[in-house]
Amino acid sequence: MNEASIIEIQNLTKTFKHATEATVKGISFCISRNEIFGLLGPNGAGKTTTISILCGLFPPSGGQVIINGKRLSDHISSIKQIIGIVPQDIALYPTLTARENLDFFGHMYGLKGRELSRRIDSWLEKLGLTDAANRRVATYSGGMKRRVNLIAGVLHRPKILFLDEPTVGVDVQTRNVIIEQLKEINKEGTTIIYTSHHMEEAEDFCTTVSIIDDGKILTKGSPAQLIARYPGCTNLETVFLNLTNRKPRD
Amino acid sequence: MISKLLASVKKETLLLLRDRLGLSILFIMPMILIFVMTLIQDSAFKTLNEKGIPIVFVNEDKDSLGILIEQGLKSNDLCAFYDSIDGKPATPELAKKAVSEGKFMVGIVIPHGATDAIRRNVTALVNETMEPGSMAKNNSTAIADTVEISILIDPVAKKSFLISITSNLREFISEVKTKIMFQTFSDQVAEIIPDRSNAPKHVFAATQIIQYKEIYASGMGDKLVPNAVQHNVPAWTIFAMFFIVIPLSGSIMKEKNEGSVFRLHTMPGSYLLLVSGKIIVYVIVCLIQFLLMLSVGLVFLPMLGLPVLVLGNSFAGIFILTLATAFAATGYGVLVGTLASTEQQGAIMGSLSILLLSALGGVWVPTYIMPEVMRNISAFSPLNWSLEGFYKLFLRGAEAGAILMNTAKLMAFGMAAILSASVVNRIKRTI
Repeated sequence: MNEASIIEIQNLTKTFKHATEATVKGISFCISRNEIFGLLGPNGAGKTTTISILCGLFPPSGGQVIINGKRLSDHISSIKQIIGIVPQDIALYPTLTARENLDFFGHMYGLKGRELSRRIDSWLEKLGLTDAANRRVATYSGGMKRRVNLIAGVLHRPKILFLDEPTVGVDVQTRNVIIEQLKEINKEGTTIIYTSHHMEEAEDFCTTVSIIDDGKILTKGSPAQLIARYPGCTNLETVFLNLTNRKPRD
Repeated sequence: MISKLLASVKKETLLLLRDRLGLSILFIMPMILIFVMTLIQDSAFKTLNEKGIPIVFVNEDKDSLGILIEQGLKSNDLCAFYDSIDGKPATPELAKKAVSEGKFMVGIVIPHGATDAIRRNVTALVNETMEPGSMAKNNSTAIADTVEISILIDPVAKKSFLISITSNLREFISEVKTKIMFQTFSDQVAEIIPDRSNAPKHVFAATQIIQYKEIYASGMGDKLVPNAVQHNVPAWTIFAMFFIVIPLSGSIMKEKNEGSVFRLHTMPGSYLLLVSGKIIVYVIVCLIQFLLMLSVGLVFLPMLGLPVLVLGNSFAGIFILTLATAFAATGYGVLVGTLASTEQQGAIMGSLSILLLSALGGVWVPTYIMPEVMRNISAFSPLNWSLEGFYKLFLRGAEAGAILMNTAKLMAFGMAAILSASVVNRIKRTI
């Protein structure tokens, strides 16, 4: 494994039970340490399946995943300790307050005591939630929930952070706050793997982008490299449409 | 590890405390259930005892047998005596029709000449004793004089209830018949032996050598009289404790639906660790349920005039058995919650299986009146293990040692359910 790589995927495949076709068809790529890696693709391309395998949610049908120098299949528990996930759907307890949610998830990552309280307070302040910290999440706006959802994934300072459309459905202000904080986390040494349909955001945010469709990696490079690679493309969105065609997906 | 467990317990407690409807289902509904079931059963018997079973009596005999039975029925609190139907004197035909229409639960018809027939038979017996050979000559008369008392039964009445009523009636009628026979015998002997100075005054009473005394073979001596409270409180308490399966599986399903389980699965720690917080909290909930339901039997039911619940001799045994029952119920809830794919599925699977296990376990109908096949099956119901254990403690006055096997079975069931849930979870995630 390359020393600079924190994630190495070799010939990864996934075929779900009763499915006639594989969702992920032998993809291989590396993600370097401290990268902000964008895994972009239309609906049903295989990005969420790939990320779910990398998070240890379910095993691959074939291939190998090495994370931080360890095989995922052999060291799933220790690998889970160094990853954080911010799922697209809000994964919080609505009847608990933001502080209670974060306290619980922090404990599950092995944090406790004053250190945990300090981190919770710090993150709530950074994301403008201090005043609402003791309100039940059910009473929050969509943007507030998304911010708490983000904090729950980063509280334990993961080495690798998986973000599945972290800014979907939020206003511009919240989007900017989230992106700024993610850049801060990345500066502190966290590798970010990010999926989004928001091409402009991906172009601005990601250091490397990989476009996936029909379970296969179509291209990989920095946004600037990809724009330059495909003649006539002026931004990441045109590259994306060029490679994945304009037909709407299910 | 401990810190994670405590955090999980804290989270589950908060979730539970904020679900007011869930809390009311957990604590108030079971108490209402015990109130209602015990009151219904107790008042049903009380009503019968106070008003008596409606019995229509047709006395065509008009002699000692009919008169004595009539007197006996009138003086018995168990019966509401009637000898007329809609203002008309009762006849065998009218009585049969009225019973078949449900106006009376039981009808008794004493045929014409019944007392005479008894007397004639006794006289023939005495003559045969004194003059051998005379009976053989009159044998046909003796057979013809057989007394047939009809007991009419409402076809809608429950068989078990009727068996108890008719056997009491038969016993009473038989006693009256024997009394007449002894009196006739005594009179006949007096005729043969005129000097009656040494004859016993109360012939029938003198024959009452064997008497019955009903004693409950319990280790609790005179403290215990089995009653609706003593039977119902443990039975419905166990039923309610097992009904924790529904809120518990609902809580597991809610985590799946709300997405928090997705995050939990990406975190370090086993499935057992994730569910152990739930198990601890729901076991405590079961223990609180148990205490509340005991309080119903100890405090609230006596306020309504029902007997107080007698707890037996072993508080340690009660605690151990309750804990094991709570663990079994919680483990089963975790399994149902893991197996189900939707909240509705969990609720249906949980409630139906508990109804089935409770029916098999003897909560609704005692196992001893079940057919052998069902009795054998009931031995596999965890509710039966628990119920039998509580009956040992509450009704037999047993010590803690007597319920160890029940406890061990319940603990093994709970453990097996939790391990199965862990396996099911792994299989479900290997998609």
